[in-house]
Order: sequence, then C-alpha cells, then structure tokens
Amino acid sequence: MATPDDILVARGVEAGYGKKQILFGVDFAVAKSEVVALLGANGSGKSTALNTISGFVRPLAGSIQFEGAEIAGKPPHQIFRRGVIQVSQARDLFMDMSVEDNLRLGAWVRGGQVADLLDGVFQSFPRLAERRQQVVRLMSGGEQQMVAIGRALMGNPKILLLDEPSGGLAPIFVNEIAAIIKALKKTGIAMMIIEQNIKLALSVADRFLILREGRVSQHHDVRSGAVNEEEIVRSIYL
Amino acid sequence: MLAVLPQLIVSGIATGMLYALIALSVTVGYRATTVVNFGHGDLVMAGAYATFVFVGSGLPFAPALILALASLFLFGVLTQRVFMQPIINGPHLSLAMMALAIGYAVRGGARLEWGSEVVILGRPYDQGAFMVGSVVLTMDDLVISGFVVALLLTLAIVFHITPIGRLIQAVFQSQRGAALVGLNVHAFHGMMWGAGAALGAAGGVLLGLLVPLSPDLGVYTLIRGFAAMTLGGFGSPFGAVVGGIVLGMMEKLLGFYVSTVFIDITAYLVTILVLLIRPSGLFGQRATVRI
Ligand SMILES: Nc1ncnc2c1ncn2[C@@H]1O[C@H](COP(=O)(O)OP(=O)(O)O)[C@@H](O)[C@H]1O
Ligand SMILES: [Mg+2]
Repeated sequence: MATPDDILVARGVEAGYGKKQILFGVDFAVAKSEVVALLGANGSGKSTALNTISGFVRPLAGSIQFEGAEIAGKPPHQIFRRGVIQVSQARDLFMDMSVEDNLRLGAWVRGGQVADLLDGVFQSFPRLAERRQQVVRLMSGGEQQMVAIGRALMGNPKILLLDEPSGGLAPIFVNEIAAIIKALKKTGIAMMIIEQNIKLALSVADRFLILREGRVSQHHDVRSGAVNEEEIVRSIYL
Repeated sequence: MLAVLPQLIVSGIATGMLYALIALSVTVGYRATTVVNFGHGDLVMAGAYATFVFVGSGLPFAPALILALASLFLFGVLTQRVFMQPIINGPHLSLAMMALAIGYAVRGGARLEWGSEVVILGRPYDQGAFMVGSVVLTMDDLVISGFVVALLLTLAIVFHITPIGRLIQAVFQSQRGAALVGLNVHAFHGMMWGAGAALGAAGGVLLGLLVPLSPDLGVYTLIRGFAAMTLGGFGSPFGAVVGGIVLGMMEKLLGFYVSTVFIDITAYLVTILVLLIRPSGLFGQRATVRI
C-alpha cells in the first residue's frame, strides 16, 4: 500500500483510553499533496486516530512514520515541530485573545516570516482580516473555525489534520470552509480530513477510508472513478 | 491622631510591597498552570532559610540570595515534574492536596533542622532611617520597596517584550490549544511553577530581613498572599500587586486607629468580606478558580 511518495504511513495502530481499546490495528498512508478523508460513524474512532498521529493519544501498538521518522508515541510538541499540525474537533482556541494573537501564537514554535504568514492567512480568510482585533469568544462558530484553520496554517504545516472542520456550522459556513479546503488543496499541502459531511469530504478527497469500530473497513480511491455517495453512507452507518 | 496618618501609609506601603510580591508569585504559578499552590507559603519560608544557609557557608549576601532563588526555582520545577504532573488531569482537589503535602514536607524538614533555635538572617546593609518631612523612612522600607518595584518592572518588561506573558495567557485559556501550537505544556508548567517558587522565595528573603526565621513563616505569608489576591481579584497579576499594597496599608491603619489585634486579623477579614461582597475583587473577571 505504501508508495515512495507517502509522507505519512501508519501501520497496525492500536490505541485507547485506559482499559478501553478504540483502535484495533489501523493502517493508512497519505502521499505528498494528497488529501485523504477519514469517514465513519460517531464513536468509530476517527478523532482518536487523528489524535494518535498528533501525539495527544499514545498508541498501544503499531507504527506511525512521518517523512520516514517514527513519531508514534512522541509528545505533541515534537510531532508539531516536524510539521504535522492539527485542527482539533473542539478547535481549542484562545477564546479571550484577538484573532491576530491567536494566529501569531500559531507561528510561535516553527518561526518563519510571521508577517508573510499572517498576510497569507488574511488573504485566504478576508473575513478574519476584517476582524483581526476581535476577541475570538465573540465570533460565530464558522469564524472560529477559520481562526483554528488559520492558526494551524501559521505553523506552516507539511500535513494538516482537520477534525470535522464543518462540524456544527451553518450551511453558508460549510460552503465557505469547503472552498477554503479546496483552495488549500491547490497549494499542494497534504491533508487528512475527518468529515461527517460526505459531500464535502468527497469533493476534496483523493482517497477515503471508512473506519468502523476501530478498524478500516473500506478504502477507496476517488480519482479512479465515480463513487456512489449513497453506497458510502450506507457502509458507514449500516 | 491624624498626624501619624502619612507615616502609617508609608509603612503600610512598604509592608504591602512584600505581600504584593508573595501574591504575585502565587498568581504566576496559578495563571500558568491553573493550579493554586497551597504549599507556596512553605517555599517562601524555604527561600529565607536557603539564603541563611548560603550566607552561613561564607557567601556574600547577593550571591547567596541568587543561589537560594535558583535552588527554589529548581525545587519548584522538580516537584511539579515528579509530584504534580503525573496527576495533572486528576481532580483539582488532589492537586491542591499534593501541593499542600509538599509544603508540609518542606516545613517538616525545616523543623527538624531549625525547629528549636532562633535563626536570624541579618541585614546586608546598615539599619537606619531618614526623615522625609514628618515621615520616618527606614532602610528596611526602602530596600524592600526598591527591590519589589525593580522586580515588578523587570517582570512587566519580560512579559511584554518576550512571548512569555502571551504564552502564560495562552496556556491559561486553553492547554490543549497551547499544545496545538507546539508548546511543550508539561515543561512550561514546570518552569512556571519554578518561577512562582523563586518569586515567593524572594519574598521570604525580604521578610527574613525583618523578622527571625521560623519554619512556620509560610503560614503567616500565605494567608496574606491569598488575602491580597482575593482583594485584587484572583488570578490578576495587577490585582495581586494592588491588593498586597492595600492590605499592607489596611493592617497598619486598622492596627493603629482601631486595635492592634487587626494587624493579625485584617487578612482574614479582608478575605471573608471580599468573598461575600465582591467575589471578583478589585480587578478580577469571572471567578473561575479551580482549586
Ligand atoms: N478522552 C477520552 N476518554 C475516554 N474515552 C474517549 C475519549 N475520547 C473518546 N473516547 C471514546 O472513544 C470512542 C471513539 O471516540 P472518537 O475517536 O472521538 O470517535 P469519532 O471521532 O469517530 O466520533 C468513543 O466511544 C468515545 O466515547
Ligand atoms: Mg470525532
């Protein structure tokens, strides 16, 4: 399954919380500039899988390699430094800080030209540029999601891990977020994205996997032909 | 009676500076880790004894002080790492009990070593006083106020020109968020716990200039530090400083005009009254204290 182009390769990943095991040997790979969607019903272990990559959950077994280096079980800050950057499901923003302060903190560790990075984010998110001094707590869910994605981009990620970016958002924001993710894809950044919105997921993904009770139950290449959305929904939920 | 008012205010400010420093040191640890160090008073006490030990080994006062603060910083980092970090996700009450237990252990150690003797740290300067108008300014007042003001200015500058202040805020608002922007939150907690211990230790050394050392020094200081924090607004660094100074003045004023009893009980009264009447204190926001 792994090809020389793969930057992220997970094999036999098992993880859980305390005595409760959630992932039972998960395999996947993400190639350079590739977008892989991780689908699955609620509670199937999608967030757990993403958090295991980013180091917030320690795997019980298995291997996760990023650019050839083993990152399984490393602490989050070390994984971040390699350019594996996550936008978590809860967003975890600094709610009482301004948009700009949130974004600047995103660039704090990996450094780089902060002014250029900021300009880049404000170009992708004109809505945030208008509200750069606004306190995040006072913003809508969609705007907060943009701050969360923007903050991750400030870290200049090599791979972006997005956990339900459209989750709980009003329809206009879902479209806006979808457009943003498509634009990001054009820049060539690799992404792994969890989505409940199958339409959105399939419109951006090159490949997708379906997680079921902690195992990869299906695996499709979207590029190789038309996919039947209904069939996918059925295989996720039934 | 009114003629002594300026004098009381000036002495009150000098004592209050000490309380301000201790309140601020608890606040730094609290802001960075969201955990209140209930054993903090004993680290204040340990700072004074550590300086005493280094001076006793023949070092001049200034290097002894610096070594003592460095030791307490290390002690803070290590105890956070070894005792607090493993239970950091547990109930806050466990963390409070752990901090208290560490404090008691330190106090026990001091009792074993110095429990039965009177230990005087001694001043590294000549005691003296100046008249400014009708107000007497002692060297102690000047040294303590000068040291605290210099320390506060340094901290204010460090917090504003380096990312440290912003990072403390970030960790306080969302630990997960701080980890998501690549901060090593564990290490950061340790460093800040250590910084709080070192700042508290500095307060202990200043206090040691004025009174004989005793293993129970921490009790005296912690209640005043908490009262100052409560008055200023729990968690607000600025509030901690203002609260400390106001508390120092209140002790002196009530102690003189009402009864000397108030010197000892003002801190308790202030805590109770503020919590009843205005729980957020002077500069606090929401009362989101997790013990
Ligand atoms: N921090 C946690 N502690 C204990 N159990 C958890 C935790 N996070 C998730 N779980 C459990 O793990 C399972 C998978 O959760 P999750 O990975 O969040 O699923 P998904 O993202 O696919 O909805 C669920 O049963 C959930 O209750
Ligand atoms: Mg999830």
